[in-house]
This record gives sequence, C-alpha cells and structure tokens, in this order.
Amino acid sequence: MDAPHYVAARVQRALAEDERTVELGIRVDVRGNQIFLRGRVSAPERRLLIEDVAREAAPGLSVHNEITLVEVREPGEEEHL
Amino acid sequence: MTQTRIAAVADIHMGEDLRGHFRPKLHGIEHRAEVLLVGGDLTRHGTIAEARVVADELRDLPIPVIAVLGNHDYHSDAEQAITSIMRDAGVTVLDDEATILSLNGTTLGVVGGKGFGGGFAGKCASEFGEPETKAFVRHTRQIADRWRQALHGLDSDHRVVLSHYSPVKDTLMGEPTEIYPFLGSYLLAEAADEEGADLIVHGHAHLGTEKGLTPGGIQVRNVAVPVIGTAYMVYSLNAA
Repeated sequence: MDAPHYVAARVQRALAEDERTVELGIRVDVRGNQIFLRGRVSAPERRLLIEDVAREAAPGLSVHNEITLVEVREPGEEEHL
Repeated sequence: MTQTRIAAVADIHMGEDLRGHFRPKLHGIEHRAEVLLVGGDLTRHGTIAEARVVADELRDLPIPVIAVLGNHDYHSDAEQAITSIMRDAGVTVLDDEATILSLNGTTLGVVGGKGFGGGFAGKCASEFGEPETKAFVRHTRQIADRWRQALHGLDSDHRVVLSHYSPVKDTLMGEPTEIYPFLGSYLLAEAADEEGADLIVHGHAHLGTEKGLTPGGIQVRNVAVPVIGTAYMVYSLNAA
C-alpha cells in the first residue's frame, strides 16, 4: 500500500490534470483508508465530479466529500480608498 | 466630489453549467460603478466553448468591461481565440498594455495583464541555473517590464493595475506558504511602486484574503470569487 502522502499527491494531481475537473483549489488529506476533500466550488455538479475523479485516483479508499458551494451574493457596500 | 467607482471580480471560471447564472448578478451595476474589471480565469479549461459562455454573460453591459486572462484561460492553448471572442463581445482585453477611459470627466488609466509567479522578495526564484528555471523567472520579469513601460506612459487622473497573479503576499494569507511562488511575484508590485498607481486588483488565490498593500503603499485587492463571495466588489477612488 502506498504511503498516505503519495496517495494524497496522486489525487491532488488527478484533480488538477483530469479534463473533467481541472481543479487546483481542493485540499486532499489521507488518514488511514479515508480521503478527505475540502474546498469551495461554484456548482453542485462540480462537487460530485471532483469526488468521482478522486475515487478513481485512489480506488478502495473511502472518500469524504467536505467540499462546499460558493454562494455568490449580491454586491455590498463600496469601499472608499 | 467626483468619484470613480471601480467594480472588480476575478476567477469567475465559467462553463456551460453556469450559463445564465452570472449575468443576473450584474443587474444594476451601472448604478454602483463606472467600470467593471475582470481579473482573469474567466474559464475553467481555457476552451473556446467556455469563452463563448463568458462572452454572453458580459456582452452589452451598460458600463465598460476590462479583462485580463488567467492561467486557466491558457490551458487549451486557445488564449488568442479567447481574447478575440471577448473583444467581439465588447470587452477590452489587456495583454501587458494600457487603456484609458473617460468617465464623468475623469480619466482612468488601466494597465493590465496576466502576471506570473516566482515568489516574494527573499523567498523567490531567480534567473539562475537550468534554462527552465531561468525561463520561468524571465517571463515574470518581462511582464513587469512591460507594465512599468505602460504605466510610465500613462497620462490619466487615476491609475489602476489589473492582474491575475498577485503582486504581494498580504492577499495570499490563507494559502499554503509552500505555493506562494506559484501565486504571484514581487516583481509585479515593484513595477507599480516605481511608476505609481492608486490600486492593484488581482485574483488567482482562492484561499487568500481581500486586502493588502504593496511595500510602496499601493492598495491591493484580491477579488477572486471564493474570497469576496459576491459577484463583484466596488472600490471608490476620490477625485484626483
């Protein structure tokens, strides 16, 4: 079995280089046989795609998808510089 | 007092699944700001199809739109086509050059480009060693030189620099320090500090923070969508 360090690196690289995700902003932590995905994305479909790609890159490990959605609010007060 | 209000956002990362989601958030922007700056990473994969979505979201806004590309927009080697699509939609795309807008009798000069990495003073790469390392750092230096020249020749009441990569560490706070050299370069700030500017706007660092300052005291704002959590921020510059 690969060291957790290399598994995390492999998943992170897959998320960045897989054409389905091209996602650089997701943190990947491996603890035992579990993978934790953390970060923020703009659409629910992307959240699931990232989980798929992570699962493929680390078969056999259980994936915890803790990625949250960015909610783009209406703009607030302006700042005077 | 006449104010110039600058709306700014970066890292909108549009794809077909977000078509029609961004534009409604820009409704009424003409009452809040005189210009919209978009600091790169318009797309996810840098494809022409994604660029068309971005163009449709930004087309025919009631205020001028000025944009630069980001690293994602280069991923499919289609950056020139993306630039053309954006320009056809009426967006001014800056590639290490300047533009001047006349707004309410005040002139706003914007120097913009993608920028690049290398790191920050004391903890950065230099043009030394293998050709690959030298090429990496040279790319940033040449960009900074072009910004310096563009700022030097810019005759306007206000001056703003629009970048994708960060010129300072302040606005990276929250990102792992190990990746700072891939998030920006002090050479970008140095160019602006030498020539003077009122504001530098950038994106790229999704985990960073909004506010910072260059060593020379220029205000820096990271307007990546995950950082600001809104469709855009508005920065108001007082009459010169």
